[in-house]
This record gives sequence, structure tokens and C-alpha cells, in this order.
Amino acid sequence: MSRLRLRFEFWSVVTAMVLVVLAVLLILPILRVLMLSFVDADTGGFTLGNYVEAFTRNYYLNGFKNTLFVGVLGTLGACLLGIPLAYFNARFHIWGRAWISTLAILVLVAPPFIGAYAWIMMLGSNGFITNFFASLGISTPTIYGAHGIILVFTLKFFPFVFLMTQTALNAVSKSFEDAAENLGCTPWQRFRKITLPLVFPAISTGAIICFVLSIADFGTPAILGRGFRTLSTIAFAAYRSELGGLPTMAVTISIIMMAISMLALVAQRRILAKRRYASSLTNLPVKARLTGWRNTGVHVFCHGVVLVAMLPTLVVIYTSFLQTNGPVFTGGFGFESYRRILHDAPQAITNSFLFSLAAVVLITAFSALISYVIVRRENAASGAIDFLMMVPYLVPGVVMAIGFVTTFRSGSFDLVGTTGLLILIYFIRRLPYGVRSTTSSLRQIKPSLEEAAVNLGAPPLKAFLTVTVPLIVPGLIVGSLMSFITAINELSSTLIIYDSGTITMPVKIYLAVLDGEFGLAAALSTVLLLCTGVCVYAVFRLADNRDSAFV
Amino acid sequence: MASVEISALRKLYGDVVALSDINISIPSGSFYTLLGPSGCGKTTLLRTIAGFHRQNSGTIGVEGAPIEDLPAYRRDVGMVFQDYAIFPHLSVRDNVSFGLKQRKVPAGEIARRVGEVLEVVQLGAFADRMPHELSGGQQQRVGLARAIVIEPKVLLMDEPLSNLDAKLRVDLRAELRRIQRELGITTIYVTHDQEEALAMSDIVCVMYKGVIQQASTPLEIYMEPTNRFVAAFVGANNFLAVSRDGTAASLAAGGADVSQALASLAAGIEVVCAIRPETLHVSTGHTAAEPQDIAVPARLREVSFIGREMEVFGTTKAGDEVKAVARPDPQVVALAPGSAITFRAARKDLLFFESGETGGRVA
Ligand SMILES: Nc1ncnc2c1ncn2[C@@H]1O[C@H](COP(=O)(O)OP(=O)(O)OP(=O)(O)O)[C@@H](O)[C@H]1O
Ligand SMILES: [Mg+2]
Repeated sequence: MSRLRLRFEFWSVVTAMVLVVLAVLLILPILRVLMLSFVDADTGGFTLGNYVEAFTRNYYLNGFKNTLFVGVLGTLGACLLGIPLAYFNARFHIWGRAWISTLAILVLVAPPFIGAYAWIMMLGSNGFITNFFASLGISTPTIYGAHGIILVFTLKFFPFVFLMTQTALNAVSKSFEDAAENLGCTPWQRFRKITLPLVFPAISTGAIICFVLSIADFGTPAILGRGFRTLSTIAFAAYRSELGGLPTMAVTISIIMMAISMLALVAQRRILAKRRYASSLTNLPVKARLTGWRNTGVHVFCHGVVLVAMLPTLVVIYTSFLQTNGPVFTGGFGFESYRRILHDAPQAITNSFLFSLAAVVLITAFSALISYVIVRRENAASGAIDFLMMVPYLVPGVVMAIGFVTTFRSGSFDLVGTTGLLILIYFIRRLPYGVRSTTSSLRQIKPSLEEAAVNLGAPPLKAFLTVTVPLIVPGLIVGSLMSFITAINELSSTLIIYDSGTITMPVKIYLAVLDGEFGLAAALSTVLLLCTGVCVYAVFRLADNRDSAFV
Repeated sequence: MASVEISALRKLYGDVVALSDINISIPSGSFYTLLGPSGCGKTTLLRTIAGFHRQNSGTIGVEGAPIEDLPAYRRDVGMVFQDYAIFPHLSVRDNVSFGLKQRKVPAGEIARRVGEVLEVVQLGAFADRMPHELSGGQQQRVGLARAIVIEPKVLLMDEPLSNLDAKLRVDLRAELRRIQRELGITTIYVTHDQEEALAMSDIVCVMYKGVIQQASTPLEIYMEPTNRFVAAFVGANNFLAVSRDGTAASLAAGGADVSQALASLAAGIEVVCAIRPETLHVSTGHTAAEPQDIAVPARLREVSFIGREMEVFGTTKAGDEVKAVARPDPQVVALAPGSAITFRAARKDLLFFESGETGGRVA
């Protein structure tokens, strides 16, 4: 009897441990943020005043409107680029298709804030495109403000819509489209009435990701906003100014941001619930060969979109090799910027790697255990864990960081130190990437394999280590790489938590941009891009379906 | 080699009763088959014995020792899986030695035993292949080798042949039986293929809806089914309605007075008469019965000539559908649908059951 207990206990203990970790690192900080938003900063008593203030004062109300405005328009822009791109790639022979999706993926994983400041270098008040046109006597519109943010969001987030819609389009049976044509639909009608509705779930999922990320994005509005404030910059500023006291306004704004994300998600789920189409893929879609101006047009569009989206990255790399003297570009090429990062920011580089790698080690171990619990043990606890794995996607980094700081650090009381705090926040925020990839890998492994091992005398842990783990290694590696990419590029929560000894590359870049040190920022960004590129290449080599590994 | 005793075993999934009050006793060294339609609980019973499911109540004894509370990895019952479950990342040799390594058998002995068992399953030349380099039948042999090399007390097999094509299935069937006999290993085998069950087993246990219907030798199962379900499942039987009026009883379709066979049965109990297709003879026209026979008049619905034999389908005037399998008779094969025919059978071949899905045998 006691032996039997032991067997059931191994995975029950793991489940319990995972739940405790999630409770402490995920639920507790969020609850803490929620609670603080009802606290009066002066008296410490309960109040609804923070929310009243957030919804009555123009400063906050504008932030609220601005956030929705750039979020909605950014998402719309991403759809306008992503959907046609997906359709063209899925239905026509496009020369360089692999190239297009590779570039889209690179855009997706490039550090989010690079886009913003690279556009400043192009279109800012001293940008080279601006200067070029100015020398011709033409004045170009400024990049600062809402339209700049929307442009960056559009070009940054369209790959989500593109990749998800493309996958869905490739799975729409050709018979549906044939039937529509047979019933007399023109190609455009057929697209609008048949194809589009069938891939709507994928489009809306892509769009909702864009929306949630736009709401949460801190770097872009912080760099490009110039007085145009969104909730994330307001929350950050509030947190900074309330430092010392209770950050009640910062958390109230945070809660509102989270509420927007969640409402959007719930709405999308609601709409989707009514539209589920079972698809039997018997008749694979075929790709048509276009000719003439249509063919040219489609190619120009496809390559144009990804090239423009890649432009910031190229500009950053290019800039990093320009000769500088302090913040001033002196013309010509050189390695001065790299010399400077070695001199000025070696700590940022080592910290970035140290923190990210430490977090990834934790993520890898937990991913393996959590995915086993989710896939193999169907009970309330594993359902709860599965659900909780979605939460980090929805909680903006600023919010999570404020939750962490207010929960684990107050005054002189500092539970794990800043380094520990950063590693833990990377861990919890990037854990879902690891879990998702490992889970899908594990789902393809028949449970009978583990049962066979147990039947042959291997205790549960042994069976897991000798049979399950070797078989999910590819999924584990892809998941770890994905979480590494996203951890090393993390800016918003680091910015709230870091201190002088724990600065990271993204923070250093952000500060350099604010100081106008574009050369330094570019060199550091190139280092980040290089790490990211190497990881992406590894994922390409390892993942079954390279496109869907990233979304 | 060990005897297996299962008593009062009960297993629920939520409130679905998957196994209710299972009592079976398996003599040491025998080949025991669980046979039944899909969803009757065969896999559940097997997996409960293996320890992958926890029973709600009841006991499982192997050689007199209770094992029902042991964890699966300490039960020492080998299992061959329906989907083979060959570890894809390990070679044939490593798959087969997996269990021995768990048991900390010395390396030299592992090499020897793995070599031997691979010879037994005729895979000696494949030891260093990876699983994906093997055919389905070969993979299934690896599964078998892996299970028997640990010399388990009991061997469990859940439809091990169902993923193979018909020809291979028959070949492997004989081979499985040969190996089992050679090793004398007590085996519990699951199948829903009645031919397979009858051909291989010492004892066939027919299950239905989580309840054991009958456990006997293949011949007894076939010749003397104890209830209507077993008769229907194993023999593909014809069931003819019986009209009873006091002590008088006759087939509703006419042609036979069966009062004598049912004389001892209390009045008021509804009965059906079962006749196996191969015991029926078919003749053209309507003819009367000899005393030792019955003769049921019917209309021909369809006759199909399939070479060695013919299958004749008819409908009696009471509406019973009757199927006969008989030696081809040119006269019958030539008949047009709707023609009058007579189904004939010896009285000794008639079986009577109480009506209802699992009605018991009477008389
Ligand atoms: N995990 C489960 N949860 C709930 N019900 C189950 C579960 N597994 C099996 N059942 C139910 O228990 C009953 C017996 O299932 P079992 O798998 O033992 O059938 P089987 O005889 O092996 O059938 P088959 O020939 O199709 O393999 C079925 O009604 C099935 O639906
Ligand atoms: Mg089964």
C-alpha cells in the first residue's frame, strides 16, 4: 500500500510544487497589484479613489484613449499587411517564399524597442531620410507621436497575423474554394465569402496577440511618444514618481491595462466559440502561378513588406559600424561603437547572458515537468496549470514587475536580491514559451511508451528520465531557445527592477537612446540581434514546423 | 509461470461501471483470452492487472500473492502493447534489455538473455537496428521479446495483432502460441476477433458490458454457449422466435413443434431458438420435416456463392432473418429472390435461450 502511495505521489508532488511556484511567482504578485490598486496612498485604507482618478483625470483618460488608439490601429495595420501576405504566400507561387517567412520571423524576434529608435535614426528630427529630403528642400512628416507608434507596431507585429493566417490557409481544403467557384463566385467573392471566414479564427488569434502586445509595449511609446503617453509609459512614470511611497496609481493603471487585454481575449474567444469548423484535409490547396503585372505586383508587395519591416534592423547593424566620437557620428566606418560597449557596458552584456541563461535553465526543467503534468495527468490541478500558462502572455511586463517589487521587496526588506528578482521574473514571464513547445512535443508521444517502461520495472521518475525526456528533447530545446530569445530581449520589467549592478543590454540600449548615444545603442543592439539570430537558426534546424514554432 | 486469481474486481470510471464483479481463475501456464465487443472492458481489465488503473475493489493474486496494491513497476507482469510501444530512441537490443537493466541484471547475463530471446522471436539479425527500420510485424516481435525476456510471472497482451495485415496476423498467431507453449508462460490475451480467440486459447472468457458471460474451452464456448450473448457473439447465430402456449411450444415461423425440448420450462418465460448457420441445410420449395429434424419454410432474400460454400439469406413468415452456410447446391444458387425455400436442421443442434440480450440457456 505504501509503495502504491509513493507511485502516485511522485507526479502529485510535482503538481503541488508547480502550483506553489505559480502561486508565489504569478498569482501573488498579480493579487498584490490588484490589492494595492484599492489602497489609499496616504491613509493606507481601502478606497476606490484610484480608479475614480484614473477615469476622471484627463492625464489618465488620454493615456487610456491613446493606448486603445495605437493598439487598435497598430493591430489593424498588422492585419492589413499580414492577411494579404499570408494569402499571396499560401495561394500563389512566390519566388523566395522561405526568405519571406524567414525575414518575418526575424522581425518577430528582434528586440521590440530597436524598431522605434531605428525609425528615429531614419525619420527623426536628425534622421538621415529627414536630412536627405531636407537637403532637397522637402520637409518630411515627423516620426514622433501616435502615427510613428502605429507604424512601428504595424511593422513589428504583422508577422503574427501573417504566420498564423498562412498556416490556416494552408489547411483550408481546396474543395471549399472549388465548390464556391462552381457555384458562381468570382475570385474576390470566393475569398470574402468562403476563405476569409474559414481562416477567421486564425486571423483573430493573430490580431489578438498583436493587440495584447501593443497594449503592453513600453519601449516604443517611451522612445517615440514625445508627450504622447500610453498606459504603459504612464504606469512606469507613476511608479517612478511614487517611489518611496505606495505605487497605488501605477498599479491601478496596470490593472486597467490587464483588464483591456483580458477583455479583448474574452471577446475574441466569445466570437470564436460560435465559429468552429471541423476541417478534413483531403484536398490540399494548390498554388496558382500568376503572370504579368499581377505577378509583379504581388512580388513587390510581399518582398516590400518584409524588407521595410527589416529596415530598422539593417539600419541598426549599419549604424553600429559607423565611426563615432561620443554621441556624434563622424563619418566613415569603424569599430569605435564596439570598443565603447566593451568599455562602457561589459557588465550589461554579462548580466544579460547570466540572467537569461539562469532563467532558461529553470524554464527548461519546469517545462519538462509541467508539460508532463498538463498532457498526461488530467485532473483539476493540471487544468489549472494549463490555464495559468496563458496568464504571463496577458500580463504586461510593467505590471508583472510592479507586482514583483511590491510583493518581494519593500523598503530594506529584499527577499531574493535584485539579481534573483530579475531571474525569477524572466523565468515566470517566459515559462509559457518553454511549456508550449514541450507540450506539443509530448502530445505526439504515445503514453504507452512510458507505460511500457513502467511495466518493465522503471519507477515513474526513471521512466520519465529514460523514455519521456529523450523523446521530447527537440521540443525542450526549441522551447528553451524561444524563452532565451525573449528573455534576453526583455526591457519593460527589467527597467522597473534593475539597479546599477544589474543593468542589462536592453536597458543600456534604452538609456543610450534616451541620451542620444545611437552608436553605442546600435552596437549593443547588434550584439543582441546576433544572439537572437543564432537562436533562430537553431530553432529552424530543430523545429518540425519552423513557422509555427514562433507564434 | 504462475496461476492468476482475480476475485470481485470492480472498476469505475466516474460512475461508468467498466468492470463489475470480475472473478476469474487462470491455471498456471495457460493461454487465457478475453474476448468481447468494443468497450466491454477488456483493456480496462488488462490494465488493472498491469497496475495502470487502480481498481475500486477486489483482489488480484499471482501465485497466491496479492498484487493489486503494488505499483505497476513492481508487479512483474510483462505487457505487449497494441501499438507496440517500442522506444523509438533505443535500438532493438536496448529495447529488449531495458527491463533487465531495471532489474540490475549483470551485463554478461543481459547480453546472453537478449541474444536468446531475439533468437526465439527470430530477430537475431536485427539486434542493432533502430525501431523505425523494422516492419510492423517485426516491431511487434520486439515488443514480445522485451516483455518475455524479463521472465515475468504473467504475460499480458492487448490486441497485439490488430495492427497487422490479415496474412501476417495468422502467421504471428501461430508463432505467439508456439513461444508461449515453449516458455510455458501464463498469458492473458485480449482480442475482439473470435476466430483468433478460438484458435489460440486454452480458455476463452467472453465479456460484455464489464461482466464475464462465460469462461470455458473454445469448443465449449462454441458448442455450449451458456447465454444468448455468447451464442450470438461467437457463433453468428440465427435467432428464431418461439411461440409458447401453455405446454405447447413451436417456432413462430412454423415447421417445428419444440414442446418437448421446452417441457421442463416454467410457462410464461419468453424463449428464442438459436441455430448456427453451418448446421442449417437449404432445399428448394417447402417440404415437411422428418421427426428428428425441423424444417422452417422461408422466402429467399439473397444467395451468394463464394466458392467453397454458399451463403443463403432468407426471411421466415414470422419475419426472422435466417442465414445458412452450406455446401454449394446448384439448384439453390440458381433460385431467384422471393423463391420458396426450406431451412432444415437437426433437433439436437437447436439451442434455447431466454429472450433478452444476455438471456440464459434453457433446456
Ligand atoms: N479513461 C476512461 N475514462 C472513462 N471511461 C473509460 C476510460 N477508459 C475506458 N472507458 C470506458 O470503459 C469501458 C471499457 O473500456 P475498455 O477500453 O476497457 O474497452 P475494450 O473492451 O478494451 O474495448 P476495445 O475493444 O474497443 O479496445 C468503455 O465503455 C469505455 O468507454
Ligand atoms: Mg481495448
